[in-house]
Formats: sequence, structure tokens, C-alpha cells
Amino acid sequence: MVANVKDKAVIVGVGNTKFSKDSGVSELSLAAQAVKAALDDAGLKPTDLDGFATFTMDANDEIEVARTLGCGDLTFWGRSHYGGGAATGSLHQAVMAVSTGMAECVAVFRALNGRSGHRFSAGVSEGVMTADIIHWGWYMPYGLLTPASWVAMFTQRWMHLTGVTKDALFEVAHTTRNYAVNNPNAFFYQRPFDRAEYDAARMICDPLQLFDCCQESDGASCVIVTTPERARDLRQPGVSVRGVAQAAAPDQEQMTSFYRKEFAAIPEMEIAAKNCYAMSGLKADDIDAAVIYDAFSPIVLWQMEAWGFCGFGESGDFVLDGAMRPDGRLPTNTHGGQLSEAYIHGVNGIVEATKLVRGTSLNQPNKTVNNALVTSGVGIPTGGAILGKMH
Amino acid sequence: MSETMSDYKTLTCADVAVGDKLPPLAIDITTSLVVCGALATRDFEPVHHNKAAAVATGLPDVFMNILTSQGLMARYATDWSGPEAVVKSVDLRLGAPNVPGMVMTMTGAVTAVDKTSGLVDVAVVGENNIWGMHMQGSVQLALPQEA
Amino acid sequence: MTAEDQKAFEDEIYAFVGREVCPPTPARDDVNNAMIRQWTEIIGDTNPAYTDAAWAAGSARGKTIAPPAMMYVWGQEGFKVTTGRPADAQADLVNLFNKHGYTGVLGTNVRQEYFREVSPGDNVVMTMTIDNISERKTTGRGPGYFFETLATFTNQHGEKIGTQRFKVLKFIPQEQPATAASEQALKVPTRIASVRGHDNGWWWNAVDDGKVLIQRCKDCQTLRHPPRPMCGHCQSMEWDSIESTLDGEVLSYTCVRYPAVPGYPKDPICAVIGLGEGTNLVANVVGCEYSDVFIGMKVKGKVERVDEKTILPQFYPL
Repeated sequence: MVANVKDKAVIVGVGNTKFSKDSGVSELSLAAQAVKAALDDAGLKPTDLDGFATFTMDANDEIEVARTLGCGDLTFWGRSHYGGGAATGSLHQAVMAVSTGMAECVAVFRALNGRSGHRFSAGVSEGVMTADIIHWGWYMPYGLLTPASWVAMFTQRWMHLTGVTKDALFEVAHTTRNYAVNNPNAFFYQRPFDRAEYDAARMICDPLQLFDCCQESDGASCVIVTTPERARDLRQPGVSVRGVAQAAAPDQEQMTSFYRKEFAAIPEMEIAAKNCYAMSGLKADDIDAAVIYDAFSPIVLWQMEAWGFCGFGESGDFVLDGAMRPDGRLPTNTHGGQLSEAYIHGVNGIVEATKLVRGTSLNQPNKTVNNALVTSGVGIPTGGAILGKMH
Repeated sequence: MSETMSDYKTLTCADVAVGDKLPPLAIDITTSLVVCGALATRDFEPVHHNKAAAVATGLPDVFMNILTSQGLMARYATDWSGPEAVVKSVDLRLGAPNVPGMVMTMTGAVTAVDKTSGLVDVAVVGENNIWGMHMQGSVQLALPQEA
Repeated sequence: MTAEDQKAFEDEIYAFVGREVCPPTPARDDVNNAMIRQWTEIIGDTNPAYTDAAWAAGSARGKTIAPPAMMYVWGQEGFKVTTGRPADAQADLVNLFNKHGYTGVLGTNVRQEYFREVSPGDNVVMTMTIDNISERKTTGRGPGYFFETLATFTNQHGEKIGTQRFKVLKFIPQEQPATAASEQALKVPTRIASVRGHDNGWWWNAVDDGKVLIQRCKDCQTLRHPPRPMCGHCQSMEWDSIESTLDGEVLSYTCVRYPAVPGYPKDPICAVIGLGEGTNLVANVVGCEYSDVFIGMKVKGKVERVDEKTILPQFYPL
């Protein structure tokens, strides 16, 4: 059993910047705006912060963000690696710091000009300048250069093994889009689509078409994590971190774990789920709503299986029964997801999961949400967290 | 590969179907083609015949003018259709410049056939081997109803 | 630029919408065989409808026509543009953009529609207006505005020949990498090579020699790919390798259609190949269409040169 930090850290503030295709400002500006918005939401000042947690991929130095905001002393900064795998990973860092007393109030943020600056769709096609260059060398010469191409390879085999069809991928994309239609900060606000439009969209990497892929966005998101004691005095009802876990599994590669006995699988997410459930004492039946990392539509389905909402190969039927919809078993990605709200590397998902527990989502399900799941990216070392109402 | 209009046959509406592919056509982009194409279309902008002017705009050499690209696209469609076809429109979007030393390959496919009017839409892409897409667009032809 | 300055600038440019660039102007030369011949020779167009009077006499048209794509050519300004454009509404608009930093210029779209063919002896009359100007856009070249001119063409009898819509981007140029204008930029691109380090270089060197090797633990004989310095089973650091026969099976595959990357074939098929020896290898499937590939398909690999600099294993359907 991993160390139990159940309910020892609480999300007390959330903030998003405006999401766009061209922010016109620096990533540092976005980071500062998101952190400030989250502090305002909590009723805290920059000097209340003593720690930061973000992604190794984030371009903003913690001390620059701190100077920009006018923070005081810092006692903690921690980063989580592996792209979108760091979404709840950065929350994990903050929870560890707060629950051990290394910090009292930590801002978890991610800020990126993902459309007007470096675009993720370029993948490694412009070359790689980091230590993992040898790894990408096994794929680049063949043209397997982009996140869509790597995920397509898993998708094709998973659909072959399970018989799940594009009907299920459409259901994911379509339900998510319908949520975004009600969200003014979503790129696809008031822009629904239908099956004909989905089917007619450009093929990116078979079988993934345009609307199976997330957007590229400019923006930032932040959540403020503090102790339960501190949380009680603040403006918003606290949202407790019931469980949080990071996991990598044997023979893990970054996006290309093609060498496992069966590679149409995400064992790392199963480990994260097992540990999150163990820490929280909860099970799949206790989860009322979810924000499931959706860089691509099929990865939502695999994660539903990994978190035990249905068995292997059953996620297609699960969503086609309407599970993700507002009145379904598991309302999912109620902000519009990264497919239709914005791609803020999953941290906008932590914001939304917090709102679901608060009861303030723009698409709040018509039931009490005691516990909401939020997850990180797929195909990489990853993780997840279960958020619940603070007792 | 049909490099020229080798016979004077013209396709009729009955001969073509959506999805039909046109034979690819590779064009060597030479300085002569760029400069003479500009002059033949009476486009005397210096960037199409004066290397120094082109380099000043950030390109390595003179580059093909739009009217030459447009002419090549129209020619590519009528090479395939034959001489009795009437060109109704040429619609193109420009991408990377064509610069001497490159080879541009044009490919095309039929995207619509209206048997009543005889109108046929051909999607055409011209890609050069160094910078990729030079132009893409469509040519609409009116084909004879029958031979 | 402040919001007010921006507004004032936009008010000024949008005032150009609808303005006439040139009133109806007859081309100085009628449609003629000399210019048609020159155009067809250079474009490589051997269509007899343009240049073969004998064939044309027997065709449905009964006479030769000008290539429709020459419609705009007849009215072109001519050599004087080498020393500057004439003063007209379009030039005024361009100058206004330039004055505000939007000095970059790029033709992005041209659409010609043809209503009536013209033949030698006809005269082409052109009228042009500024038809529309977009809102400010962020583009790959930099921030800018698209403006579109609309030209209409008639013949000497006033009959409409066609129209042309020409869209131009005026943008604030971004800093260009110095290499863009160099000869280097004209090198034919090749695939992105794998960097060769201590743990993988020997594998790629063997590929250069025409062989695909699989690393083998000298102690427990376990095969592993991609190569690593230690055996994950027995932690031995002693290893050798065996040569794969490249008999394999497709375990999964995709066709990478977007984005197209220079140096690569269009729409490459990439696959995870399960090799007969038991390890998996990512490589291309070639020699067939994407629609022919399926999971479970038996393939045979060959080590081949795929471009000037790159040698790779490529798998063919059996």
C-alpha cells in the first residue's frame, strides 16, 4: 500500500484564463492570470502561496511566476514529467507537499500557447532536442511523428481486438461537443456537430479523424491546494483529494509501448486506478461523474475500462448506452473536454472535476456528485485523482 | 504518364466517375520555366525574373508566379479530359513557392460528376519535392454528353 | 498600437471595400495567336483547341480559342511594373497596410470562373473592385488581413467572359530563419534520422549494412528490442545479437495522413511488426495500398535505401 494521504489536501480555488487560438500574450502572463484567478476564487492572496507544482513541459519557471504574482517565501516546487501524464501528476506533487507539511498552499498550474506557439500536432517532426531523442529515433525515420500517429497504432489494434467501432468514438466526441456548446469559454461554444460532419472530417491517422483529436489551444488553468484546516476558513467549499496516484508499468515507453505482450492496453492506468481506489476506500460505483483525459476520443474508452466502470472491450456499449451524457451513469467531460473546450494538458479537467464536486459545473448533472474522477494522459506514465466533498 | 495531349480524344460524361484518378504529372521547375512563365503571362514583377529581388523577400531564388501555376493546373485537367472539354473554373489555393531545382508533381481525382449538365469537378494538388504543397484546388470542366 | 489606433486603422482600410481599382478597360492588344503560342509553349499545353487551326475548324467550336487561364493576362500592365505599380485604389490600400507595418504580401487564393470562350480577334475588357477585407487574423506568416479583389471580364460586345477573385494576405512579417533564403533551403529533404548513441548506434549501423539485428542476452538468451544496456530479466550486461529473417506479421498499423512532413512519402503506412523471432519492430509497410493492410497480415521485410541518406527495414505483403 502506498502512503495514504486521503483527505489530507483540499482544492480550495480554481481558475482558467480565456482559452483561445491566439492569446497574444506570453505563457508567463497566462500562468500568472490563471493562478491569480484561482487565488481570487479561494479568497487568498499571492503571499499565501508557498509552493508551485506544474509539468516538466511547462515553460514558466516557478520563481518567475512567483515574482510576477508578488509571492513571498516559497518552500516547495515540484514538477511532473511525461506530457499530459503530468495533469494529475502535478496535483500529486501538491498533495504530497501539503500532506507532509512541506508546504501549506500550493498552486498547481499549466500554461501554454499550444496553438500560436509550439504546436503539439507537429509532434517530433521538427526534431527532438531532449534526452529522449534515442527513443523517438525508433519511430521518426518511418514517419510515425505525431501524438495522433502513436495513439492511432493503439486504437487500430484495440478496435480489432474488441470489435468496438467508430460509433463509440463518435459518441465520445459528440457528447463532449454537446457539453461544450453550453460553455462560453469553449472553442466550440454554440457549435454542435452531427454524424455526417464527423464522418466527413479529414482523416488524420487512420482510424482517427479530425474530431477524434483534441484541439491546440492557448490558455492556462490552475487549482490551489491547501490543508483541510486552512480550507475551512476560505471562500469556497473545499474539495478534498480522496485519492491520487501516479503509475508507470513494465515495458513502459513514452507513447510507444509497442513491445508488451499485448500492447492494446494501458496497465499503468489500471495501477493508478487500483491505488486511487485503495487510498480513498472508494470503488467505481462510488464515482458520480468524471473528467477523463481526452487528447483523442478512443482513450476515454480505454480509461473507463481501466477504472472499472466496465470490462475490457465493453466501453463501447457503455458509452453508447449514454453513460457520458448528463443523465447517464457517468457524466463525463462536462466542460467539453479537450476535444471541445480547450487543450490545457488536463489541468482544465482538474478545474472541472472540482466544479462538479462543488456543484457548479455549467453542465452540472441532476444528481449529487459526491466523488468525481479526473485522469491524466494515456500511453505514457500517468495517473488520476478522486475528488470529493470535504467533510 | 501522359506528358502531353497525345491524342485528340475527349472524355464524355459517361467515361468518368467520382474517384477516378488523373495520371500524375511531374514538372521540373527550372529558372527558364519560372522566368518565361512570368513573361508569357505578362507578369513583370521582379521577384519572378530577378534573383536579387526574390532573395530580398526571403526566398532562395526566383519563384513561379501565380498565373503560371494556374495555367499548369488548367493544362493538367485538359490534358486528361481532351480538347472538346470546356473549362468552367479554376480555383486554387497557394502553398509553398515553386523555386528552380524543385520537381512539382500534380495529382488529381474526380470529385463530382453531374450527368445532366456534363459538369465534372476535378480536385488537383501540386506538391513540390522540397517544400510540399505548392497549390491545391479544383478545376471544373464541362464534358460532352456523348462522343 | 492602442485599441483606438487599431479601430482608426481598420475604419480606414474597411472604407476601401467596394472601391473601384480600375474602370472597364479594354486590353491594349486583342486576343492573338502570338501570345497564345508563347503561353502554350511555356506551359507545355498541347491542346489543339488553342493552336491547331485545322483541328479546331473541325471541332465543335469551329475555331481556335485562347486558353481560358489567360483571361487575366490580356489586361496586364506590362513591363512598367518593374519600376512600380500604377496609382489606384489597390495600390493605396497596399500603401496603407505597409505604413502600419503590414509589409508582407502573399497571394493565397485565386478563383477564375469562365462563362464564355474567346478567340483571336476578340478584345477582353476588365473591371476590378476591392470586394472584401477580412478581420485581423493570425496566420503562419504573422498577423494580417486578407483582402480580395474581384475582376470581371467582358468581350468587345459587352458579353460577360468570366470573373476572377484574387485573395491577398498583407501581414506583419515575422523574423525568418537565416537559412530560408540560402541555397541550403533547396536541398531535397530526407527523413529525420535516428540519432546514434552508445546503446542504439550498433543497431542502426547494422541496418546500413543491410541487416536487422535483435539484441540477445548472453546469459539468459532473452531477446530484446529496442536495445538497452542491461537484460531486464537477469540484469546481465553481456549481450550479443542475432539477425532477424524479417518474417513478420502486422500487429497494428496506421496511415499517417496529416500533417504531411517534407522528406517523407505521402501517407506513409506505419506498422508494429511482430517478428518471427518474437520481438516487435516498428517499420513501414510498402508495396500495397493502405486498404490492403490488416492485423494478422504476413509480411516480409527488406532493408532498403528510402532516400539519399536513409536506409530502413521496409515490409512487403507476402
